[in-house]
Amino acid sequence: MNRTGWRDHTWRLIHAGPQAPALHMALDEVLTHEVGAGRRAPTLRIWEWAAPAVVIGRFQSLRNEVDADAARRHGIEVVRRVSGGGAMFVEPGNTITYSIYAPLSLTTGMSFQEGYAFMDAWTIEALAELGIKAWYQPLNDITSEGGKIAGAAQAHRGGAVLHHVTMAYDIDAMKMLEVLRIGREKLSDKGTRSAAKRVDPLRRQTGLARAAIIEHMVATFRRRHGLADDTLRPEELARAEALARDKFAGAAWTAEVP
Amino acid sequence: MHGEYKMPGGKLIVVDLAVRDGCLAEVQVSGDFFLEPDDALHAIDAALEGHPADADEQVLAAAVRAQLAPGVIMYGISPEAVAVAVRRAVTGDPAA
Repeated sequence: MNRTGWRDHTWRLIHAGPQAPALHMALDEVLTHEVGAGRRAPTLRIWEWAAPAVVIGRFQSLRNEVDADAARRHGIEVVRRVSGGGAMFVEPGNTITYSIYAPLSLTTGMSFQEGYAFMDAWTIEALAELGIKAWYQPLNDITSEGGKIAGAAQAHRGGAVLHHVTMAYDIDAMKMLEVLRIGREKLSDKGTRSAAKRVDPLRRQTGLARAAIIEHMVATFRRRHGLADDTLRPEELARAEALARDKFAGAAWTAEVP
Repeated sequence: MHGEYKMPGGKLIVVDLAVRDGCLAEVQVSGDFFLEPDDALHAIDAALEGHPADADEQVLAAAVRAQLAPGVIMYGISPEAVAVAVRRAVTGDPAA
């Protein structure tokens, strides 16, 4: 397969209103397949969260990662995504999450490590323009002098690559440590003060509103790669809603690695 | 029984298992690593099931490697790292 460049594709932008966590998981699966099948142009999707969630990685153990009682107490939905990587704690307005759905040809011949950095080069540039010196820290983190900013994950499905990233805009570190077990174990010797320090969210680093950062990131992507505004097609949304209901909101999938 | 191993330059590999009649049982490998295709995880679990609980790292790593279909891609995880996590689970020694 010959390598293609960003400008060889006509990129589309989807930025819908707040959606449920399980629907976001389903949209990633549906849109990756649509791009892989050639029915949709390569797409950048910006997420808006309708509810707080813990999103665990494809290969993580549900009971090892999540304190189910604490999650229930805080009204936090637990979902499993299609890609590997670590658990994220998300509250509406606290993260900036995006997905890139691209043909495999965009990263043909690259190592996984090169592919991750390549997919987020525009993000590093957007952050630099906002005054944040950020860089890729293998395997899958975006970090800065102040601390970690974001985590990325990729999955190859149906002839396309899904690359999605969650960036910390603001963070309730205490609540995160109540709900995520691994965070608690990994940090047990350092305490919660350093847990809050390990991640350095964008709000503290920029002083900008979340929407302003997103607007700037979209402008950077548009300038570098080209980007035309788009929306979900009704049939895409219908398939994702069915998949959210039948798969991603169900225990069989969420507890697939119990 | 539970063991964890952070692979140097890689991700965290977690193993939960039981030992029954001296053999590994109910083996579950998990963690924040990456695997393509994703059903390779079940192949890894199956590769470890039934091995003697005192099997060493080389034997366990070879068993995992032999079970993986051609074309499986591991990122942040390796058969050797899985073997270390299994030994830690069996021995209960976090530095095994």
